[in-house]
Amino acid sequence: MIKKSQKKPEESSDKSVQSVAPALLGVSWLVPGLGHLLLGKKVRAAVFFGVIAAGFVTGVLLDGEVGVPRADNPFSWLSTIACAGNGFLYLVRLIWLNGLGGLLSNLPFGLEGGGDPVSAGFGYGKTFLITAGLMNLLAVLDVSDISRGAKS
Amino acid sequence: MDHFFLLFWHACLVSLFFAFLWRTERRERVQLFLKTFLLMVVGGVLAGWLMYPFP
Repeated sequence: MIKKSQKKPEESSDKSVQSVAPALLGVSWLVPGLGHLLLGKKVRAAVFFGVIAAGFVTGVLLDGEVGVPRADNPFSWLSTIACAGNGFLYLVRLIWLNGLGGLLSNLPFGLEGGGDPVSAGFGYGKTFLITAGLMNLLAVLDVSDISRGAKS
Repeated sequence: MDHFFLLFWHACLVSLFFAFLWRTERRERVQLFLKTFLLMVVGGVLAGWLMYPFP
């Protein structure tokens, strides 16, 4: 028999779990740091935006290729998902390379990812692009935790 | 292109990100930043030297 004062831990934690607005997660993904800014975490927002944008720009300057899906390479979806984590930076890069019309008409397997495979920085650049995207995805999860009250 | 600079820059960005993601206090952030930064840079150089004999 459980006394009133002896609540199970999961019962008490369930009450603190709140739903997260999908729009908040959407803007967090689209603009790195914006989700934290909307939650009042200004310093964290500025650092996240700076770090992710710096990583993305470094990757592009090193002739890295942003991930785009290839019909003959299923693993290309992994780099696509990671790079797509960069939000608007990824979209702007794709529009820069393909044009808006080309972007829409060549989906999903005809997209140009840029970069120069002959360049010495190609591998490094792609690493920076993927890292920046994955960091932004982690930042989105952080926004989810903060808005649910699971983290300060 | 300086490979060591790229290692340094990458470690700097990633360490800064995780210091702010996982810690809230200033002192803890500095500690985590230094720890992860040094691990990545020293570990990267060490791994490079260990792989040096291999073709």
